[in-house]
Amino acid sequence: MSMFRAKKFDLGCFANVKTIRDHSKRKAFEAAEPERQALRYMVRNTTLPQRTRAVAQLQLTQMHCYTRPTQIRNRCILGGKGRGVLRDFKMTRFNFRMQALQGNIPGVKKASW
Amino acid sequence: MSNLRARMLDLLKVQCKLFSTTYNPDGIRAGNKILRQRLRGPALAAYYPRKAPGINELQKEFANLELLVEDLAADDRLEHITALKARGKSAPKKKKGPTADKKR
Repeated sequence: MSMFRAKKFDLGCFANVKTIRDHSKRKAFEAAEPERQALRYMVRNTTLPQRTRAVAQLQLTQMHCYTRPTQIRNRCILGGKGRGVLRDFKMTRFNFRMQALQGNIPGVKKASW
Repeated sequence: MSNLRARMLDLLKVQCKLFSTTYNPDGIRAGNKILRQRLRGPALAAYYPRKAPGINELQKEFANLELLVEDLAADDRLEHITALKARGKSAPKKKKGPTADKKR
């Protein structure tokens, strides 16, 4: 969805089409979040008329899929992989191991017992 | 007993006012939990590191402060090209106008 992509490339990490796409989705979600929350509030509010709630639900489901938070997936900033990514380090387990062994990650060292 | 309940409700009302929460003694689902949630967007959008400004951007940024940013790599390249040109070894000029048809 090219309309969500940044006009000027703005990623400072490893970039392939998947990371760029994920980044666009994150930014789209950030932009649409207040609207989504407002609609979600209207849907959950039982004091509102039934019709208003139904319309809000419809609007929410008809928003672009890029504005949905469930579309966002944490990807590796060193290789763009989407599986086995350690959340604290934003890296896949293998990249994390390599960086940790090289001493590039502060406070991480190999343990053995 | 009802007196006690009324007093409890009053207390609840004052409590809600003090801590700026919604007074909802009947537990009606008014969706306030959505309004209470913090926005997650900024944290999510900051996941990937953004691109650092390059030399060109720095030059543009500092130009109006009349500060010069030296691009050493570009200077080296230009120097190299002028040296090549002096020896007549540089790349040929680009052709202008339509190219002639190739013979087959």
